[in-house]
Amino acid sequence: MAIHKILFASLLIFSLIQSIHGAEKKERLFKDLEKGSLEVTTKPSREGPDVVLDAGKDKISITWKLSSTGSTKEAEFKTIKVKLCYAPPSQVDRPWRKTHDELFKDKTCPHKIVAKPYDKTTQSIDWTLERDIPTGTYFVRAYAVDASGHEVAYGQSTDDAKKLNLFNVQAISGRHASLDIASICFSVFSVVALVVFFVNEKRKAKIEQSK
Amino acid sequence: MAHNHSNEDGSIGTSLHGVTAREQVFSFSVQEDGPSSQAVRSDDPTAKFALPVDSEHRAKVFKPLSFAKPHMRAFHLGWISFFTCFISTFAAAPLVPVIRDNLNLTKTDIGNAGVASVSGAIFSRLAMGAVCDLLGARYGTAFSLMLTAPAVFSMSFVADAGSYLAVRFMIGFCLATFVSCQYWTSVMFTGKIIGLVNGCAGGWGDMGGGVTQLLMPMVFHVIKLTGATPFTAWRFAFFIPGILQIVMGILVLTLGQDLPDGNLSTLQKSGQVSKDKFSKVFWFAVKNYRTWVLFMLYGFSMGVELTINNVISGYFYDRFNLTLHTAGIIAASFGMANFFARPFGGYASDVAARLFGMRGRLWILWILQTVGALFCIWLGRASSLPIAILAMMLFSIGTQAACGALFGVAPFVSRRSLGLISGLTGAGGNFGSGVTQLLFFSSSRFSTAEGLSLMGVMAVVCSLPVAFIHFPQWGSMFLRPSQDGEISKEEHYYGAEWTEEEKSLGLHEGSIKFAENSRSERGRKAMLADIPTPETGSPAHV
Repeated sequence: MAIHKILFASLLIFSLIQSIHGAEKKERLFKDLEKGSLEVTTKPSREGPDVVLDAGKDKISITWKLSSTGSTKEAEFKTIKVKLCYAPPSQVDRPWRKTHDELFKDKTCPHKIVAKPYDKTTQSIDWTLERDIPTGTYFVRAYAVDASGHEVAYGQSTDDAKKLNLFNVQAISGRHASLDIASICFSVFSVVALVVFFVNEKRKAKIEQSK
Repeated sequence: MAHNHSNEDGSIGTSLHGVTAREQVFSFSVQEDGPSSQAVRSDDPTAKFALPVDSEHRAKVFKPLSFAKPHMRAFHLGWISFFTCFISTFAAAPLVPVIRDNLNLTKTDIGNAGVASVSGAIFSRLAMGAVCDLLGARYGTAFSLMLTAPAVFSMSFVADAGSYLAVRFMIGFCLATFVSCQYWTSVMFTGKIIGLVNGCAGGWGDMGGGVTQLLMPMVFHVIKLTGATPFTAWRFAFFIPGILQIVMGILVLTLGQDLPDGNLSTLQKSGQVSKDKFSKVFWFAVKNYRTWVLFMLYGFSMGVELTINNVISGYFYDRFNLTLHTAGIIAASFGMANFFARPFGGYASDVAARLFGMRGRLWILWILQTVGALFCIWLGRASSLPIAILAMMLFSIGTQAACGALFGVAPFVSRRSLGLISGLTGAGGNFGSGVTQLLFFSSSRFSTAEGLSLMGVMAVVCSLPVAFIHFPQWGSMFLRPSQDGEISKEEHYYGAEWTEEEKSLGLHEGSIKFAENSRSERGRKAMLADIPTPETGSPAHV
């Protein structure tokens, strides 16, 4: 029974620590961030009304700089973290992509593109869509992060309603010819082996019974 | 003698083993050779077996660490096959975070696929009884394993929500191994220990649902290390359960044996038990209201367990921002608790029966199932990780023990239709899982956390019908046994399943023997007061 007491006690202590620790993080909200401090533009390698970019192949050229209106918090900017974010159509019926106001809970922008130290010049990157990007509609957001790793400001390539300037991505299928062939081989083997055993045993039984 | 019917092939009208009332599947003592036991063809009945056996060559002892042929070997092959099928059926669950991105699934798609994964077994479990009767437990198991292996491999081809659902549905058929595994152990082990043996086989098999939550993320991770992208790696990961199924199928066919004396097809049928009519067996199972109460109860113990196997990993991953790996470990602990929780439930039921008879069994069943459901409500409401894990562990023990306790009651509901009732109850588990997944986890109406709590509430409510299970000879949770001299006899209850014509042919003798042996369900007080008078035994002459 001693081990049970120890386990229970450690569980309690752990949960205590968790709740204290969590209290700090829980209060940082998205709406507290300075909006539009950075100007972010995106230019996919293929553009057009019905264009769907291919993950793993197509590129996006992303540029970001301090916005023309400037920022009150510019002194705090240490790093710029650029992320790929889901637009509302890709969040429907998918609670794991939901937008939350609490920053630690927010799942809008899970895909990291790049993190670069902030300097006052215009920065850009030519980014190839990675092969684990799911099918969906996206935009790009850049967070300005301070020295302690907390976001202080952001800018995004779309408007507040997240309707303009979105781009569509088609994921890779993940299928592979070699996988397909291996799969068929194993399946056939399984069925054939069973049939062979069955027929064999029935035959042996018939021979025995006819004796 | 009316007892010896030799048929070359069991007709489809035969039932699951244990239904014919000739076998002592769940009764207590098979020591003496009464006039109703069969003469089995063998020269030296007991000497050639590694374990002590009874007159039907069923093992009287359970030695889990032994692989002795044929009994312990059958036990191990049976539960490991069942375990493998659980791995395959729930293999997708811990990988859902990757699969949903690859196939662009919505919550509805995922929920529906979860429902599909448990629905197939409703039908396959019912059919498996007949398959085992016709072809023997080995082929029942092997069919289940090797014919569903192609479905597991075909995850390589899945490209959208529809094909994902179809594949999960087809993989789910393999859960019929539950029936073939229990059938196999019932043939191999004597009635006195069959409760423990079946509890272990069932519990250790169910562990597969837990192990898969660990195994699949690990395999996925290893495959990614070799350079594959995530969307290919998860498909390849399914080859592991698929290959396991093929391996187990071959092992079962080569190392296993249908019956203690040999394989079904090569054995002489003169020693076989008489076949019962399927229509009769089916009718008596369906007519007995207790069957349906058990159907619903199992739906909310095993059903809840199956649902959790599908949703818990994703729940921890999403809600607490864990890695796939960590979420898998936590989810695995739920299923692994089966190792001791389910046998414990069966054992608790047996202890309660010793003290309070059947009424004790019913109370234990209700208590375990309700307590488990209450902890499920708590799990949904827990917002910190340690509390959630604690709630989940207590929930798992309660619910899984309830599964074990239910199969402490089920054997007594009917003697003639025992096998079919086991199959129906098993199907009820899958049905309950389908219903809970459909109601609570297939739409965005409830968050997963809310769904868990609501499922717990539904389980509490649907566990109340235990109170309605009433045995005239033993009572129920709130009512005492009947005082009527005739109805209060076990023989009356089990004899009622046979018509007068059948009784005149002596077909019911196995039921009578079972009835005598089941007098222990009266509990300690009644046992001391009552002196059983066997109706078919020979009187002692002075």
